[in-house]
Amino acid sequence: MSILDEISENLQKGKAKAVKELVEQAVESGISPETVLKDGLLAGMNVISEKFKTNEIYVPEVLVAARAMNMGSQVLKPYLEKEGVRAAGRVCIGTVQGDLHDIGKNLVKMMLEGKGLEVIDLGTDVSPETFVQTAIDQNCQIICCSALLTTTMGVMAEVVEKAKEAGIRDRVRIMIGGAAVDEAFCARVGADKYTSDAASAADAAVEFCRELAQ
Amino acid sequence: MILNNRERTVNLLHYKPVDRLPAVHFGYWPELLEEWAAQGKIPAELAHDNHDGSDKDHELDKIIGWDFNYSHVIGSNDHLDPVFEEKVIEVLPDGSIRQQTRDGVIERVKPGVSSIPAEDDYLLKDREAFEKYYRPRMQFYPERVEAGFTRFNDNRPQDIPFGILLGSVIGNIRNMTTVTGLSYLMYDEDEDLLADIIDTYADLQYRCTEEILKTGAKFDFAHYWEDICFKNGPLISPAKFEELCAKHYKKRNDLCRSYGIDIISVDCDGVIGQLIPIWLETGVNIMFPLEVGVWGDQFEPARKKYGERLLGVGGMDKTALRKDKAAVDSELARMERLASLGGFIPCPDHRLMPGTKFELVQYYAEKIKEIRL
Repeated sequence: MSILDEISENLQKGKAKAVKELVEQAVESGISPETVLKDGLLAGMNVISEKFKTNEIYVPEVLVAARAMNMGSQVLKPYLEKEGVRAAGRVCIGTVQGDLHDIGKNLVKMMLEGKGLEVIDLGTDVSPETFVQTAIDQNCQIICCSALLTTTMGVMAEVVEKAKEAGIRDRVRIMIGGAAVDEAFCARVGADKYTSDAASAADAAVEFCRELAQ
Repeated sequence: MILNNRERTVNLLHYKPVDRLPAVHFGYWPELLEEWAAQGKIPAELAHDNHDGSDKDHELDKIIGWDFNYSHVIGSNDHLDPVFEEKVIEVLPDGSIRQQTRDGVIERVKPGVSSIPAEDDYLLKDREAFEKYYRPRMQFYPERVEAGFTRFNDNRPQDIPFGILLGSVIGNIRNMTTVTGLSYLMYDEDEDLLADIIDTYADLQYRCTEEILKTGAKFDFAHYWEDICFKNGPLISPAKFEELCAKHYKKRNDLCRSYGIDIISVDCDGVIGQLIPIWLETGVNIMFPLEVGVWGDQFEPARKKYGERLLGVGGMDKTALRKDKAAVDSELARMERLASLGGFIPCPDHRLMPGTKFELVQYYAEKIKEIRL
């Protein structure tokens, strides 16, 4: 088994320490950091993502795999920056104003990073203005809004409105998710995409980034 | 034939004849009661400190027309003892509060918003924390069970079903560790740690249950609290759930059955399909609720799959109570059809949420009682 396959396998098993050590070894052996990222870490997260979508694995397995990916990414980060390797897209993500819940949001963040996207995590209780201003300031292609509560899901409509007012709807896609929302709600508030799970959200985000890059 | 609510419920869940369906609910979000009070629908005093099964809850039942709140259960002090000190750690600039919970978790809450808390940190991360802070708090001693259970049969309400609370096999552990922490523990380098935590806590809860039942107290049903699923499925893999938890349900359920309690429910929440066969195998026979939710789950397919050993309480799409009479009528028709399968009691899926229309709840409670099977 190649060291890249080993990285992927260990990541899938959530072996964070092993992933960190293998990534260090891989870089030291002369494999390019971008290759280690794509064919090691992201390859492993892709498998996790697919298995999560089909209920072969569950939230715990995603969380431990993401922890392992983070350990490996930390090793790679300075090398990638030095070589000017760019992410496939940039996303800002947060839980909407009035809502402090972040498990779902964090799962989506992990999956987005697992697809090689750069994620700006705005945390919880994020105002519509902050979402939109961050997208403008950081050149994000996508805004991801999460809400657990029926009492806060209405804020998503305000995010869409603020984005319209700011004149960025032609270049920024707005995705929504969370326990309280569904496709019908997405259509009603004028967001671009609702996905029912974190892995599908990451797939949709990659697709949007691809479209916008053309 | 005129039955009281206790007889009606027990009969329904044993596929026996009843006079009518009961009007059952599972409580309210506090924000909804405040809304109703502000609209002048209910007295203001009923909007505060209104807990399941309390006098205020009963008073509200009368005003609305409910027969009873399903959540009439009693248990013992079967949790951490002493619990951790509940204290505010800091008030953040936006008014939200970081506080330590009784389970040793640091959570963030927003004043005035009642919901699942957001979790920042937790103590139960490793073997050392378990041995030092948690195992000592999970030990059984007789005083955990109140002496009052010897008089329970005379003092309990005679006309509504009353359950024994069996505690929680995994949900309370999740509350001690957070979802993330529980996930990490499942794959900890100390492979026995999570099983050790679950086993220790389960032994305590079994002993407490046993001591209550030994007093001769009689219950109509038994009930667990877990809240272990979300909109995409379980928060734990079914394989791990079976490996770590199933034996504890089985042991506690067998104990209940030996005391004549054969209706055993679990408050599960979310998309529970993959855990149903495991729960059923251990003897849990009501998954409360099989939620309609935004994912559209239904009791009927589950009944077809698992047969009559699967009972049901819940299944009513509570969002209809925010819409109009036509939406409620549609739910009433669906509830009648489900109830006709037998072994099923309609109840709104969990607590009624803000925006629910008072008049529609009254209408539902009135109409559900008119349904004869």
